[in-house]
Amino acid sequence: MSQPETPETKSLAKAQPQKELPQFEKSLADKLESKFNSKATIEFVKVNRIRVKVKKEDVLDVARFIRDELHFDHAESVTGVDYPDQKEIEVVYHLGSYTDPELAKQVLTLATRAPREENPSPGNDSTRLPSLRDIFYSVEFHERECFEMLGVYFENHPDNRRLLLPEDWADLPPMRKDFKIKGR
Amino acid sequence: MSAIAPKFRFSYFIKSILDNAFWAVTLFALIGIPIMMVLFFYFNLPVMNDKLTTPYLMLTTIADPSRQIPLLKSLIHTDFFRITAFPGFGFAALLAAATIFIERKMLAKLQLRVGPFYCGKIEGILQLAGDGLKLISKEIIIPAKADKPIFWAAPVLFVATAAAFVALIPVAGGGWVVADIDVGLLAVFAIIGFFPIITVLSAWSANSKFPFIGGIRALHQMISFEIPLILSVLGVVILTGSLNLSEIVQSQIHYWWIVFLPIGAIVFFIAMLAELERIPFDLPEAESEIVAGWLTEFSGMMYGLVQLGSYVKLYAFSALFVVLFLGGWNGPMVWPPFPEEIIKNGITMGPITARFPGLPLLDQQMLNDTLWFVIKTMGVIFMVLLPRGVFPRIRIDLLLHIGWYKLIGLCFVNIFIALGLLYAGVLGPGGIL
Amino acid sequence: MTTQLPPGLQLEKVDERIMTLNVGPQHPGSGHMRLIIKVDGDYIVSCDPDPGYVHRGEEKMAEYRNYIVNIPHLERPVIHDSCNVLYPYCLGVEELLGLEVPERAKYLRVIASELNRCVYIQYWLAIYGIFLGHSTMFMWPAGDRELLIDLLEKITGARVTHAYFVPGGIRNDVPANFEDMCLKRVNYFEKRIKEYAAIFYDNPILISRTQGAGVLSREDAIRLGTTGSTLRASGVDFDLRKKEPYDAYGELDVHSNVLKDGDSYARSKIPWLDMLESCNIIRQALQKMPKSGSVRVKLKPNPKGGNDEVYKRVESGRGSLGCYIVSRSQPEPYRLKLSVGSFRNLICMPYLLKGEKLGNMPAVYWSLNYWPVEADR
Repeated sequence: MSQPETPETKSLAKAQPQKELPQFEKSLADKLESKFNSKATIEFVKVNRIRVKVKKEDVLDVARFIRDELHFDHAESVTGVDYPDQKEIEVVYHLGSYTDPELAKQVLTLATRAPREENPSPGNDSTRLPSLRDIFYSVEFHERECFEMLGVYFENHPDNRRLLLPEDWADLPPMRKDFKIKGR
Repeated sequence: MSAIAPKFRFSYFIKSILDNAFWAVTLFALIGIPIMMVLFFYFNLPVMNDKLTTPYLMLTTIADPSRQIPLLKSLIHTDFFRITAFPGFGFAALLAAATIFIERKMLAKLQLRVGPFYCGKIEGILQLAGDGLKLISKEIIIPAKADKPIFWAAPVLFVATAAAFVALIPVAGGGWVVADIDVGLLAVFAIIGFFPIITVLSAWSANSKFPFIGGIRALHQMISFEIPLILSVLGVVILTGSLNLSEIVQSQIHYWWIVFLPIGAIVFFIAMLAELERIPFDLPEAESEIVAGWLTEFSGMMYGLVQLGSYVKLYAFSALFVVLFLGGWNGPMVWPPFPEEIIKNGITMGPITARFPGLPLLDQQMLNDTLWFVIKTMGVIFMVLLPRGVFPRIRIDLLLHIGWYKLIGLCFVNIFIALGLLYAGVLGPGGIL
Repeated sequence: MTTQLPPGLQLEKVDERIMTLNVGPQHPGSGHMRLIIKVDGDYIVSCDPDPGYVHRGEEKMAEYRNYIVNIPHLERPVIHDSCNVLYPYCLGVEELLGLEVPERAKYLRVIASELNRCVYIQYWLAIYGIFLGHSTMFMWPAGDRELLIDLLEKITGARVTHAYFVPGGIRNDVPANFEDMCLKRVNYFEKRIKEYAAIFYDNPILISRTQGAGVLSREDAIRLGTTGSTLRASGVDFDLRKKEPYDAYGELDVHSNVLKDGDSYARSKIPWLDMLESCNIIRQALQKMPKSGSVRVKLKPNPKGGNDEVYKRVESGRGSLGCYIVSRSQPEPYRLKLSVGSFRNLICMPYLLKGEKLGNMPAVYWSLNYWPVEADR
């Protein structure tokens, strides 16, 4: 703890695969990899940060494993990232832990992707993901926000209503890339 | 806002004053005097110098400077003057205005700020007048589904009830009270009983949710605190043997009842705070929970009337506390006597000597009584205002708990103390002291 | 899905006993949000928070502006805590661009961020006071925070919207006599806030009103993913300044305040203790700070991040504040997300208010340290 955290310089995971990875983070990533093999792709391991990418069919299993075995107990944020060029919308869960003091610094990034449609009809199209609410209760409002901002419908979410936008918002989901701000 | 208009010229200023004076005199001569004449025909005019005055004689009497003071004296002793001006509503409203000013400045000092500052140059003394003007000039908005007659009547009824309460308060010895009745204390409680009804009526008639909740809260609070309020003064009644407020004051010439009945005084004070809806008991108007409670839908002067009523009520309760526990108007004589020379010789200014037959206007005893009464009342009002700077708001269940469990128990303790003093022969009719 | 009324606009059937109250957005006790509260008598049956009245699309705006232009508008969500809001963004951009912050700037960042935390908490405390009907507790903190605002104005040039932190350091160095001035004011400030205990925190009416109101157990605090004072009042020792020290916090002795009760009173006391702790940290930082040196590394005019992403978090006045930046080798961030404490604590509101008395609503609501503008972003 005495070491001040210095910002990682040029820490592009793909650029320097040979660089020695931090021990503790590596062990967590290894646990995930040994359990799920190809299902869970470890995208990078940095100081205090791990990123795991899973397909949407496996996200519930991986999330349950992360909660029960790796002891990450809450979600800090749920972010939707729109990739129109890949025709996908990525939903990123940042998971943290309060119960395990060893994990206090760690943030595990769980990313999954949903197909993207050109003419979205939020809630009625194929842009769907399973909700993690039953596993991480804290994602409830984050997923609601993600639904309205990107049109990703979370199945089994009890409350897929609007949160921040007006009730009568009838435009595109605003965080999609094809929703342009006027004048920019 | 500059003090002087940019095109100001002194000659214009003088001219405008003279213009105004000219029109005032002209209009008075042409309209005022004929109206007075007409009115005198309808009044019962007094007998002067063994002669029944006629309207013409009356008009000349009014114009005679040497008779104006006796006239004023006779006016002061009419019922009309008592009800509207001195011991009645006008006096109470004046003290209420003073209360608002004191409240603002005191709270500001407590909270490290200055309070009203600019309006009226001297410490913002005209701020209240400004607020009143603003309230009067505002539009009155009535909710669409409101029960209009009751909604309109509620603020008026509130002020009227507060004024009726004021009418029972004796301010000075020698009959300076609007209604000196033998069941004065009972009448006070009968009048207090109207406040929850008015509150609930206005809350219900507004047909809105927040006033409704506020009205229900006010009903709970006032009804559950009326019982300790009534019980706490029972000790005073037992020791005095009278319900007449003037007699209660006269019984405290030597010692105040707060000396013997401190518990009763404390309970009365707390119950008074709750009846007045003052912090920490301002639940019916708790703005962070229910907007403004039962006042939510009032706008403009309707709101102003309710505020006026509540401050008049504050004065009346404080005065009642003074009457019951702090010895009313009793106090050492500190008012200076009216100078004899003015009565005998009049005022001499150079060559002119003005004589004022009929002085003094008010006797020394009455002025002294009023002074002591006002000082004590303002002291109690100050104590009522003080918790606003110190306490947060209480919750309704805690409030009812205090009312029903603690205060009523203390009231009985108080009554037992009073009965003990009475039967031991210490106090009361025929006691040692 | 037959009638295409958008969600939230349908009429619903309710029991006749149940009264629906719209607490907000034009309600003196709501802030810029709406709580749809259903009450049965004096008890709250359900509460449905409806934020979004001050949603300004900060995240969308950030996608159109480069890393430097983003600085001033990203602090808008909480202008009273503007240094702390910018902090994770600056840390993230520094990591993306590979910048090393000078040592003096690290300490000055700590000082500015702690001063700003005090300013924010004072503002919050003022509103908490007035929500409980304690008008003196509104005026005192609102007046005392001017002291620190004044100090921050001398450092940064702006009263509340400082835009002081930039990627690579801080915008400008402090004035010459800063250390004496800061120490003097912080000492006086500490003396003042200790006086609050007498009028507010030890007030029997306040204690009777807020103790036991809206109790959040330790397990629930973790499960709901709360953060900041809400979390620490429930007995979880989690303060990022201590757990994941950033900048100069690793070299300072930071004590994190934890209370066990988890009720409204504990939640309101934690920020007050935090202010005392902030004064401590500022004094330490003033001692250890290098007396001279550069405060900023030069940036290229239009810096580009790599094909990378970062997630940085700091402890703000309202708890952990994370900034997630996805960069795709452009001068603008591809996606920027602020994970704010207020939004994370929002989930407690329906949970805690259910079954409470209506009179407890402001006490519970504002004790969550919820800042509507921040939650809406």
